[in-house]
Amino acid sequence: MPELLAPIAGNVWKILVAVGDKVELDDELVILEALKMETPIYCDDAGTVTEIKVKEGDAVNEDDVLIVID
Amino acid sequence: MSRKQTPLRPYFEKMPDIGKELRAGEVRRSQANVELVREQEEIIAQELLRVKNAGIPAEKVHSRGGMTIYDRLDYLVDAGTWNPLHSLYNPTDNEEGCTGVVNGIGKIEGKWAVIIGFDNKVMAGAWIAGQAENILMVTDMAKRLNVPLVWLTNCSGVKLMEQETVYAGRRSSGAPFYRHADLNHLGIPILNGIYGTNPAGGGYQGISPTILLAHDGANIAVGGAGIVGGMNPKGYIDEEAAQALIEGTKNFKGKAPGRVETHFDQTAYFREAHDTEQGVLDGIKDYMKMMPAYDPTMFRVAAPAEPKLPASDLNLLLPANQKRPYDAIQILARLTDNSEFMEYRPDYGREVFCGIAKIDGFPVAFVGNQQGVFPGYPDYANGEYPGVGGKHYRQGLIKQGEFVTLCGRDNLPIVWLQDTTGIDVGDLAEEAELLALGQSLVYSIEQTELSMMCIVLRKGTAAAHYIMCGPQANNNNAFTLGTPLTEIYVMHGETAAAASYARRLVKEDAAGNDLTPTLDKMNQMIKDYQEKSQPAYCAKTGFVDEIVSLPKLRSYIKAFTGANYQNPKSITPVHQMLLPRIIKG
Repeated sequence: MPELLAPIAGNVWKILVAVGDKVELDDELVILEALKMETPIYCDDAGTVTEIKVKEGDAVNEDDVLIVID
Repeated sequence: MSRKQTPLRPYFEKMPDIGKELRAGEVRRSQANVELVREQEEIIAQELLRVKNAGIPAEKVHSRGGMTIYDRLDYLVDAGTWNPLHSLYNPTDNEEGCTGVVNGIGKIEGKWAVIIGFDNKVMAGAWIAGQAENILMVTDMAKRLNVPLVWLTNCSGVKLMEQETVYAGRRSSGAPFYRHADLNHLGIPILNGIYGTNPAGGGYQGISPTILLAHDGANIAVGGAGIVGGMNPKGYIDEEAAQALIEGTKNFKGKAPGRVETHFDQTAYFREAHDTEQGVLDGIKDYMKMMPAYDPTMFRVAAPAEPKLPASDLNLLLPANQKRPYDAIQILARLTDNSEFMEYRPDYGREVFCGIAKIDGFPVAFVGNQQGVFPGYPDYANGEYPGVGGKHYRQGLIKQGEFVTLCGRDNLPIVWLQDTTGIDVGDLAEEAELLALGQSLVYSIEQTELSMMCIVLRKGTAAAHYIMCGPQANNNNAFTLGTPLTEIYVMHGETAAAASYARRLVKEDAAGNDLTPTLDKMNQMIKDYQEKSQPAYCAKTGFVDEIVSLPKLRSYIKAFTGANYQNPKSITPVHQMLLPRIIKG
C-alpha cells in the first residue's frame, strides 16, 4: 500500500483530497509550508486515497506518512 | 583527403544531457499556471500595443507617403531576427506614453547590429524625458557587444515646453553625442539613415555617427529656420508682440537649412541621398555588408541545434506562485542546444548552478539559482536552519566568483538566470563572510572583459539582484530581461512593511492604542510593493530592458551570443580553454 511521505519538515498547509478520492500519477495532494515556501506533494502512483494521516495545520517531520493510497 | 572538425570535439560535441520530458500528469496539473502566465502576457501585449500606437496614427504617416519607424525596422531587419528592447521604458511617465525611440538587437544582411530609431509619430521624433537614458543603454550595448550601431534619425529636437527635463545634467540628451564619439573612437561604426527635419539636437543626432545616408526630404542643421525671432525688449508677449509673431510666421517662406542640396551636393557630409525612404534603408544594408564580422565557423564548437525539449514547456515549469520551488535545470534544458550542459562543481555550493552549454553552436556559460530546500546545508549554520533555493550562501558565492574568473580567462560570455530572494543574513552569515563574498563576486565580474546578459526568471531581490550581474553591472551587462513572472524589489513587500513599522506596532501596542492606522499603512505599503514590482512596471521604470515571454528567451540568448562572437576584441583559442578540463577533472 503506497504511502505518501513528507520530503521535508514543515506544516501541513492544505490537503487537496479526501478519503475515497481517485488520484492519478502527478496529482497534487498536499501542500506543506516551511521556510516561507510552499512544497507541493505529488502522487507517485494512481489509486484511491484510503487514509489521511494528518490534518491542516499539523507539524510534520521529514519522512512522516501523510496519505495512504491503495 | 581533407578533413575538418570542431575544436575540443571530445568536450563540446556531446555534453551531458539535462532535463526530462514532462509526464502527462505534470502537464495536466500545470494548466492553471499556464493561464497565470498568459494573464501577464496579455497585460504586456496591451501595453506594447499602446506604445506602438503612441502619437499620430500610422495611417496619417502613410497617407503622406511616409513610413513609420516600425515600417522602417520591418524593411531593414532580417526576418525573424528582431529582438526589441526598452519597448515599455518610460521612467518619468511622459504624457507621450513612451520615450520616443524604438530599439533592439537584430541582424541586417546577416550581421548583428544594435538598432535604434526615433518614433516619427511622436512629436516628429522630439527629445522627451527619459529618452537620453534609453539611448545611453543602447549605445552601451553596442559598446559592450562591439557590434555596429544603426540609427534611423528623424528628430525634431527638444520638446521645448519641457526643455529642463532633457537638457540638464550629465546623462541628458547631449550625452549620446559623446557616446557616439566614444564608439567611433573605439572603432565601433555608427550607420545613420536620416529622414525629415532634424534641427539643433536633431542636427547633432544627424552629424555625430560615422556614415550618413539621407532621404531627399531630410535636413540636418545647427538650428531650424522656422524659429521666428521671439525675443523683444519687453520680456513678455503682449497683443502687439503676438500680432508681430503672427505676421512673421504667416510671411515666413524660408526652407529648413541643411538640406540634401547643402549636405550632399556642397559639404558632402551625406555619403548617399535617396529619393525613397526604402533607398536609405537599402543603403544601410549595403554598408552593413562592409562591417567586420567573423564567420561563425571561427568560434563554433559544434553544429547549431535547437533544444531537444520544447520551449513551450517553460510556461508549465516556472511556477507563477512565487513561493513554489521548481527544478531550475528543467528550465535550462529548454534553452540550450540539444538540452545539454556541462556543470561546474555540482556538489559544491548547491544553491547555484554554473557551467558551460552551447547556444547556436557557440560555447556560453550559464549561472543560475537552484530552488528547493537543502537540509544540512550550509555547513556554517550547524543545523540551525536548512538552506533554501534562491538564497546565496558561502559556498555558492565562492563557486560563482571562481567560475566567473575562469570564464574571463576562457572568454566565455555569461548568461545569468536569476531567481533569487537574497543573500543569507544573521550573525552566522556574517561570520561566514557573505558580505565580503558578495562584493567579491561583483569584483570578479568587473575584472573580466566579458559580455553578460541577465534574465530575472522570477525574483530579483536585495543585493543578490546586483551581485548576479543585474543591470548595475554597467561594464558587463549588455541587457537584462524579465519574464511574465518577474518581480524585482529590494525586499518583499511584507518584509519591508515589517521592517518599517514593527517598532511602531510595539509602541502603539504598549500604549494601548488602536493598531488599525498602522496596519492600514503596512497593508498599503505591501500593495504598493506588489504594484511596483510587476513585470510591466519593471519594464517601464528600467528594472529590466524588456519583458519577454518564456518561449522567446532563447531568441534573445542567441542574439546576445551571436553578437558577442561576431567581432570579439579578445580570443581564447578553444583548445587552450581551461574550464572544460577543470569540469572533466
